Amino acid sequence: MSDHGPISTEALHSQVLESFLSGILGVDWENRIVYLNQALASRLGVQSADWIGKPVEGLGGIIEPRLTHAEAFRSGLIWQHEAETFKSREVEFVEAERVLHFREDSYPLRDPSGAIHGRLFVYTDISRAKAIDRMKTEFLAIASHELRTPMTSIKGSIDLILSGFAGDISGETHELLDIAQKGCDRLVRLINDILDLSKIEAGQIKLKLAPMDITEVVHISMRGVKSLADQSKVSLRLYHPEHLPEVEVDKDRMVQVVTNLLSNAIKFSPADSEVRVEIQTGDGWIECCVGDQGCGIAPEDAGRVFGKFQQFGEKKKGGTGLGLAITQALVLEHRGKIWLESRVNEGSKFIFRLPLGKG
Amino acid sequence: MPLTRVLVAEDDPDIQTVIRLSLRMKGVKQIVITENGEDCLAQVKTVNPDVILLDVMMPRLDGYQTCERLKANPETQNIPVIFLTAKAQQFEVKKGMATGALGYLTKPFDPMTLHDQIVTLLDQKGTP
Repeated sequence: MSDHGPISTEALHSQVLESFLSGILGVDWENRIVYLNQALASRLGVQSADWIGKPVEGLGGIIEPRLTHAEAFRSGLIWQHEAETFKSREVEFVEAERVLHFREDSYPLRDPSGAIHGRLFVYTDISRAKAIDRMKTEFLAIASHELRTPMTSIKGSIDLILSGFAGDISGETHELLDIAQKGCDRLVRLINDILDLSKIEAGQIKLKLAPMDITEVVHISMRGVKSLADQSKVSLRLYHPEHLPEVEVDKDRMVQVVTNLLSNAIKFSPADSEVRVEIQTGDGWIECCVGDQGCGIAPEDAGRVFGKFQQFGEKKKGGTGLGLAITQALVLEHRGKIWLESRVNEGSKFIFRLPLGKG
Repeated sequence: MPLTRVLVAEDDPDIQTVIRLSLRMKGVKQIVITENGEDCLAQVKTVNPDVILLDVMMPRLDGYQTCERLKANPETQNIPVIFLTAKAQQFEVKKGMATGALGYLTKPFDPMTLHDQIVTLLDQKGTP
């Protein structure tokens, strides 16, 4: 047992900050350094004590030659004008001829009364996460290619046999080949969806944003699912106010969102029912609601509808289990949000809201 | 206009068969299959095809390089080239089209409509 008394809160805080692997830099209103932890000082090859009270520009002179985008970094240090807000960005830093990736999170530096005295910057090394993400994407691209090649032989052969080109086949053989063909088609959709979702999640898709009338997106999507709706004896209706503002969207991706929601709604609709699309707009937003009159989703399941490989209801509906995950990811990419309102035996409404105006 | 002669570069023997049967079913008379880009370039003048179907991942000379060489040669630059490949990502499609190809079809393809897709692409460009 030690004879020493309890450690002071200040000493404890100091030790906690010094033990962080993330670099921490505190700067006051006059751009003087008020705090520089051991992790950041070591990385920059300086002694923390030598820099306290000194202008941050001096430290910038050490950092900037090692950055891949020094100008962008410098402009980001104009924190006084945005002192109230939390900011996060990525910074590339060269160390031993390797480019390291850091996430820079910055926060207002406040005194106990809450008044802002400067800004706190936290630098976290995310190089490993970045590398893993890149490897995952590369792996998926290779896996996708390697899966497509045998799928081409299998699907091509089945399609040709079913066409009768290779000779007559019995009814039973036809039925069995139909099953194999459907399985192939589903595998292809699955490969496409996995690749699509991984790219969206890795931030590798670039939205081609342009102002659009959202009803045009809905009309295109409705045409795309018309045959599915006809087969299921489900009618599609669109309701919207007469005048709607245009919204900045990637047309193809937004059609994908609405098509996914419509296909799901149709699949879960009873025959002779209606799938309604309702558009609304408010102060700075536009909303699209796709509602069905199906079995609904139980409250305990509602939280996982946007998860991957989730299936609901008693019957498999032939989807890949990734449609809603992709839909949500695309809405988020558009700076929007999506949610579910559902009642068992009454139906479900999937609603997404997009901001109006440029982001 | 009906397709008469098609030159294919594809290294997978099973997919070669599917392409051959698919095109033969639609009445294409001459389908010459080569295993890689080099063999394709060696055959192109003899076959004088209406269109060349190119896989991308092939030994010796890949599809992108093959198309670039076809387009760089005045004797072959007007022969339409269509990629038929499992490389289906957007940047791969762009890369293929940047080599001067007429179209980009991805695997798995539908053997029942392959011929019609090729003809549609050729018609869009006003060839052959």
